Amino acid sequence: MNQLLRMVVNSENVEIYVSPDDTLVDVLRDKLNLKGTKKGCGEGECGACTVIMNGKAVDSCMIPAIKAMDANIQTIEGISDGDKLHPLQQSFIDNGAVQCGFCTPGMIMASKALLDENSSPTPYDIKEAIAGNICRCTGYIKIEKAVQEAAEMMKHECCCHNHSKSEE
Amino acid sequence: MYKMSVVGKNVRKLDSVEKVTGTANFTTDVELPGMLFGRTLRSPYPHARIVNIDTTAAEKLEGVKAVISYKNTSRVLFNTAATSTFTLPPMMPVLDQYIFDSVVRYVGDEVAAVAAVTEEIAERALSLIKVEYEILPAVFDPLEALKDEAPALHGECEAGKNIPAEKIHLEMGDVEKGFAEADFVFEHTFKVPVQKQTQMETQAAVAQVTKDGKITVYSTTQTPHPSRRILASIFEIPYSKVRVLNPPYVGGGFGVRIGLSAKAEPIAVALALQAKKPVKVVYTRTEDFIASDTRHPGYITVKTGVKKDGTLVSRKMHAILNSGAYCTWSGETPGVLGAMGLSMYRCENQMYDGHSVYTNTTPTGAMRGFGNPQAMFAIDSQMDIIAEELGIDALELRIKNMMRPGDKWVLPYQCQSTGLEECIKNGAEEIGWNQKGSFDNSGRFKRGIGVAVGTHVSNAWPFCGDYSNAYLTMQQDGSVNLAAGVPDLGTGTATTLAQMAAEVLGISFEKVSVTFGDTESTPFDIGSHASRTCYASGAAVVAAANEMKAQIFEYASKLLETYSDKIDIEEDHVYSTERPEQRISLFQVAERAHLAGIQFIGVGKVIPQNAPPYMAHFADVEVDTHTGQISVIKMVGVHDVGRAIHPQICEGQIEGGIVQGIGYALSEEVIYDKNGKQVNNNFHKYMIPTSMDVPEIKAILVESNDPSHPFGVKGVGETGLVPTAAAIANAVYNATGVRMHEIPITAERMFKAIVKNKNN
Repeated sequence: MNQLLRMVVNSENVEIYVSPDDTLVDVLRDKLNLKGTKKGCGEGECGACTVIMNGKAVDSCMIPAIKAMDANIQTIEGISDGDKLHPLQQSFIDNGAVQCGFCTPGMIMASKALLDENSSPTPYDIKEAIAGNICRCTGYIKIEKAVQEAAEMMKHECCCHNHSKSEE
Repeated sequence: MYKMSVVGKNVRKLDSVEKVTGTANFTTDVELPGMLFGRTLRSPYPHARIVNIDTTAAEKLEGVKAVISYKNTSRVLFNTAATSTFTLPPMMPVLDQYIFDSVVRYVGDEVAAVAAVTEEIAERALSLIKVEYEILPAVFDPLEALKDEAPALHGECEAGKNIPAEKIHLEMGDVEKGFAEADFVFEHTFKVPVQKQTQMETQAAVAQVTKDGKITVYSTTQTPHPSRRILASIFEIPYSKVRVLNPPYVGGGFGVRIGLSAKAEPIAVALALQAKKPVKVVYTRTEDFIASDTRHPGYITVKTGVKKDGTLVSRKMHAILNSGAYCTWSGETPGVLGAMGLSMYRCENQMYDGHSVYTNTTPTGAMRGFGNPQAMFAIDSQMDIIAEELGIDALELRIKNMMRPGDKWVLPYQCQSTGLEECIKNGAEEIGWNQKGSFDNSGRFKRGIGVAVGTHVSNAWPFCGDYSNAYLTMQQDGSVNLAAGVPDLGTGTATTLAQMAAEVLGISFEKVSVTFGDTESTPFDIGSHASRTCYASGAAVVAAANEMKAQIFEYASKLLETYSDKIDIEEDHVYSTERPEQRISLFQVAERAHLAGIQFIGVGKVIPQNAPPYMAHFADVEVDTHTGQISVIKMVGVHDVGRAIHPQICEGQIEGGIVQGIGYALSEEVIYDKNGKQVNNNFHKYMIPTSMDVPEIKAILVESNDPSHPFGVKGVGETGLVPTAAAIANAVYNATGVRMHEIPITAERMFKAIVKNKNN
C-alpha cells in the first residue's frame, strides 16, 4: 500500500508516494533523482549512502522511506552555497582526499554531521565519525586531514561571518 | 631537464569538483528511457550439470521482458579478462567461459538472467525459474585438484590436470651449481590467501541496442577497448558497431575489471537484445564477492643459496596458485609472480616454476600487485630470516643484493634506474630503525620494527601486449582537447595526462580538456592496469604533443619570420628563441591557422618499454601476546616513482596501497566452507581496514628519472601493496620472535603461533 511521504530535502518540501519496502536511498536516488548519494552495499555496512537526517548522519539504505516522514534531510547536492563549495568539499579537493569518488559524498556527509555538532574535533573524533564509511582508495589519510582542515576553515569563516553580519 | 611549469605540481584534479558535489556520473547512476533491470540466477552448487531448466513461469510474470539461459544465448567461448585480447604468442588465450553454460563450476556461477520493469519483479522472476541439477564432485584446493582422482573442471588441459594456460618456467644460470657453491641454503614455503578487491562501486553495465544493431554499453570496466573487442566477439558483430564507455567515472577497480566487469556487460547486452530495450545490470555486494574475480591464493616455496657475507648465489622459486573455476588471468599471474620475485635481487643462478590450477571456487584474477604481493611476502620474509641467521643487518643485506642498472635478470628489458638505496635510507630514518630491538618487551605487549622492499612494472609488456595511442586537437582559441582510451578510476589519469600535454605544449593546464574511457571518441589503448597509464598512455600523449608542437612551429615560423627550430612556446605564447620579444599568443596562431584552413592535430603512438619502480616499506607494530591482536603503530612507504607528475596523487596511491596491504597482512581473507560457499561474502564479515584500523602512514617519494619515459615516470598504482605484508610480518617477528609463514596474521593465527612457539 503506497503512502504519502512528506519531508524536507535540501531545504525543499517534498511530497511523494512510497511503498513500504522503499528505502530512503532508493527514494532519493530513483524518485528524486538525487544520484549523488551512492549505494555500495545496501546493508548499512559501507556508508556510501550516508545522508544527514534531522542532524544525524544515517545510512539511508537502512531507513525505510516512510520513517523519513516530516524529517529534514540533507544530501551532498544540498550543502554548497550556490557555486561556493562547502569548506569540506573544498578541503577534500585541496587535500587530494578524492580518488574514485564513490565514497566521497557519504564521507563528506558523515564529516559534516560531525562538524555541525563539534567545531573542534580531535583526530580521534574524525576517525570515529567516518568509521562506518569505507574508502578503498585513499587509505583514509588524506580524508582525515581534509576534515581537520575543513574544521579549521569553518571556525575561521564563522568568526569572520559573525563580524560582518550581526544576526540572521 | 628544463624547469617544469605544470609537471610536478599538485594542480587541481580534473574530476574533483564533480566528485565532491555529487554530480559525477557512474555506471550505477545511468538511466535511459524505457530502461529495464536485469538480475541473475546463480548456482547454489560448486559443481553441477543443469539437467533441466524451466523458465516458463518466470516468462509469464507481469513486467518480465526477457529471460535468458544457455539455451537462448551466444555459444561463443570467451574469457572475461582483457588478457584474451592481447596474449602474446607463443602463449594462447584461454577461452573457457560462455555467458551461461549447461555446467556450473562454482557457487555463484551464472545460470540464467531476467530483465523486468523493476528490480523487484526481476528478482521475483528468478525464484520462478525451475532448475534441476545433477551434482558433480567438487574440489577446492589447488594441490588436491592436481591429483588423478580430482574432477576435471574443463576436460583435458594441455599443460596437465586442471592446469589452465601454461606452466611458467624462467631460468638463468645454473641453480644446482649455485647451491653447491653456497655456504648456506634456506628453503621455506609460504601460504597466501584469497583477497577481494572490494572496489566501492560493484560490477555494473547498462546496455542499449539500436534498431540497426549497434550496441552501446556504459560500463565499470578498466579497459573499454579490450572489453569492446570481447563483447563484439561474443555477439559476432564488427568491433566498430560496439561502443563501450565509462560514463565517465568508475567507482574503483584494483584489477577486478581489467576486461569485462565480471559478466555484467554480456548479460546486459544479451537481455537488451532479447527485450529490445536498454537493460541495467548492477551486482549486489554479495554477487560482487562471490561472482567476480578475487586475488590468487596459493603456495610459494623459495630456496636460496647464500655466501657467508650475504651474497645471493642461487635462488629457486615455485608457486602453485588457485585459479578458481575459470582461467581469467591465471596464465599471466604466476608469470608476474615469478618474474618479479626473481628480479628483486641480483642473483646469477635462478629458476622459477609456477602455474595455476582450476578449482570449484570463485575465479581468481587480477588484483593490485598482480602476483607480486604474493611473491614479495615470500621473498622478503625469507630475506629477513637470512639476515638474522647470518647476523647481517636487514637493510645492509638488501642493499648488498639489490638489482642495479647493468645487472642481469630474467626480464627482456633493462633495469635502467633505481632509487632503492635512497628509499631504504630515507625510510629507515623516518621509522627510527635504530630503535629496533630497544623496546621493553618484557610484558604482555611486544613492539617491533620490520622492513621489506619491492619492485613492480610500469606497464603490462612482456606479460601480455601493451601499446597506447592518443591524439590532441588544438581548438581555434589555442586550447587543446586530449583524447585517450584509458579510463580514470580515480587514480588521477586524466589530470596527469593533461599535465604532461600542457608541459610539452607550453600552455596552461586549464586550457586542456580530456576525453577518456570511450571506444568511440578515443583511439585504441589497452586501458588502466599494470600501473601503466601515466607511463604508457602518458608517453603517447607526450608524443602527440610533440607532433602538434612541430606543426605549430612550422606554421608560426612564417608569422614570426624565423626558422621553425628557432621557436618555442611558453605561457600560451609562441616566441622566437633568438628574439624573445617577438611573440604572439597561441590564440592568434590557432585563429590565423584556422582562417587558412589548418587545425593542429597531434597523434601519438607508443609501444612502451618497461621500467622497474622500487619501494621500501617499514612497519612499527605492537603485538598483544595474550590475544594475538596486532596493532600497526606506523607505516612508512618510500617509493622510487621515477618522476612524480603530481606528487599528491602519487602519495594517495601509496597510502591507499599500504592500507590494502595492511588488510592483506592482517585481516582480509575470503573463506570457503566445505561446500564451496563463501563464508564471508559481505562487508560485515569480510574485514577490510576502516579509519579506526589505519595507523600513521608516511608516504615519501624518490625520483630516479627513468630514461625509458619522456618525463622519467615509473608506475605507482600498485606498488603500495607490494611489500606491505612482508614488512608487517617481519615487524611481528621482531616483536615476538615468531615467524609467520601464512597471511593474514589474524589474532587467532598469531595467538596459536605464540602458544606453539612457547611450547617448543
